[in-house]
Amino acid sequence: MTTLVRIDKVRKIYKRDAFEVPVLNGITLDVPYGDFLALMGPSGSGKTTLLNLIAGIDRPTGGSITVEQREISNFTESALAGWRARHVGFIFQLYNLIPVLNAFENVELPLLLTKLSKRERRQHVETALNVVALGDRMFHYPRQLSGGQEQRVAIARAIVTDPTIIVADEPTGDLDAKNAQETLDLLQRLNEDFKKTIIMVTHDPKAAQHAKRTLHLEKGLLVEEGAPAAEAARA
Amino acid sequence: MRFAKLVRRNLFRNKLRAILTMMLMAAIFFFVVTMMSILKAFDRYGNAGEGANRIVVQSAVSLATPLPFAHEAKLRLIPGVVDVCKMQWVGAYYKDKKDFFANFAVDHDHMQSVFDDYRVDPKEFEAFKNDRRGVLVGTELMQRFHWKIGDRITLKQQLFPYDPELTIRGIYQHPVNTAALYFHMDYHDEMMGNRGRVGTFWLKIKDPSKMAAISQQIDGMFKNSEDPTETVTEKQFQAGFMEMMGNVKLLFTSVSSSAVFMVILLAAITMSMSARERVTEIAVLKAIGFERRLVLTLMLCEFTLLTLCGGALGIGFAKVAFAFIPMGKVTQGFLAGFFIPNDSMVVSLAVAAGVGLLAGGWPAINATRLSVADGLRRVV
Repeated sequence: MTTLVRIDKVRKIYKRDAFEVPVLNGITLDVPYGDFLALMGPSGSGKTTLLNLIAGIDRPTGGSITVEQREISNFTESALAGWRARHVGFIFQLYNLIPVLNAFENVELPLLLTKLSKRERRQHVETALNVVALGDRMFHYPRQLSGGQEQRVAIARAIVTDPTIIVADEPTGDLDAKNAQETLDLLQRLNEDFKKTIIMVTHDPKAAQHAKRTLHLEKGLLVEEGAPAAEAARA
Repeated sequence: MRFAKLVRRNLFRNKLRAILTMMLMAAIFFFVVTMMSILKAFDRYGNAGEGANRIVVQSAVSLATPLPFAHEAKLRLIPGVVDVCKMQWVGAYYKDKKDFFANFAVDHDHMQSVFDDYRVDPKEFEAFKNDRRGVLVGTELMQRFHWKIGDRITLKQQLFPYDPELTIRGIYQHPVNTAALYFHMDYHDEMMGNRGRVGTFWLKIKDPSKMAAISQQIDGMFKNSEDPTETVTEKQFQAGFMEMMGNVKLLFTSVSSSAVFMVILLAAITMSMSARERVTEIAVLKAIGFERRLVLTLMLCEFTLLTLCGGALGIGFAKVAFAFIPMGKVTQGFLAGFFIPNDSMVVSLAVAAGVGLLAGGWPAINATRLSVADGLRRVV
């Protein structure tokens, strides 16, 4: 499979007052098109940091990150914002919907940055909400939705621009088992039916089971690569 | 326009806070625009009508010291003087002391020539001239006391030892001074025992550029007389009245500035709270591709709209309220014909927008400066 994301000897050091905290210590990794990768590891292992670097919302201290043959670590802040708008869909643990906007308007947000007309935006939003089976809740506000529904709206927001990569940070971390299962099924469907490349950070081995492959991080290093079945057995 | 909905929704995300902030803005800007309009009104009195070509001759000792009628003949001889009109502040009131207004004794033969910015129906003016106890009354004063032409009125004395008994013979129109009353100098002088003295001479000057030179000439002419003069332009004369109350302009400007400063601080607190509670949302917007500049612009639009709406509410209310409040009556004629001028409204609205930018600028810059990763970490 062709490589979509190439991470080469990436290091990340956070500066906290006078202290330097190394989080990633030279990670090298390739993510091919159409992959569904789960990143696992204990708290502080650097998995969210790695996800943020891939998504272009943080910059590495050293090494390089290339997405579709473009070195994103050298982009300016403004260029990175534009790149994220076109290429990355975000799914967060706490959904992070804008509470003053309804489901339709939340999903429409990334499209406001495009040149699409109002009618085209509406078509895209309706399609995305239908994919996550929330076509009938379009005009509900986040407070009027369950946690699972909120996360599905967030997923619709992540896919509405048809991004190259979807990054999900603990997407089931705040959901009950039933809604978590539905969310993971949806992600799996996006990967299998719509060929979306998904990188997911999770603590939950059952969630990781839905990925095509799983990587473990510990103290800022990749320690092993496992198949979903092995993760399930470990759980 | 595509982001208008986001701005509008964020504006009212906490309805109670938004409404309270708007009401605060409304109250402060009601006050600010009123103060500005009062200052404007003071300026208007000084610049009213044709007053730019009039000078006032008063006693060099004090305004309360009258000058002899005899000065008039000498004043008329000065080249460039078109006409001279004697005028005396009488200071009487109608029925009760709270019914006070400006009232003057005036030389009716020269009034129309010198005060050509006052418009009176010729027939009414003729009737006024022919009646020794006739009186001309401003439009607002007529409405205030529900007077009509032909009414007999008696004013009560305060400064002079007689109660003017007058008959309304005419109504004058003036762009600013709408609540005063003018009766015959002859009648006043007679009641005063024919002393032949008056508080001020008002001179109409042919060429306004020569007013300073003529003023100097007049004061020089009477310098060594028993009744030395001080000659000023009409604007300076009105300003002198204001100075009698202290530096009103400075006082009003200081109070208004303090109010605006106070509202900036209060708005800054509200906007800081609003910005702080949205750190994660801002991070999400930036994550999905909104540039920092765009997020900052949207926040500043929101904050500015908040203060602008509140300001507009207060300014609009002031405009409507003062259209109905009889300020001449409330202020005993001091602010007769008071209104909120459009330029004061525009300036106040600009200040309201400025308050939004100033108060919201720092919280918005701080909130958007945070990196996406840090912003998301705040809650997640």
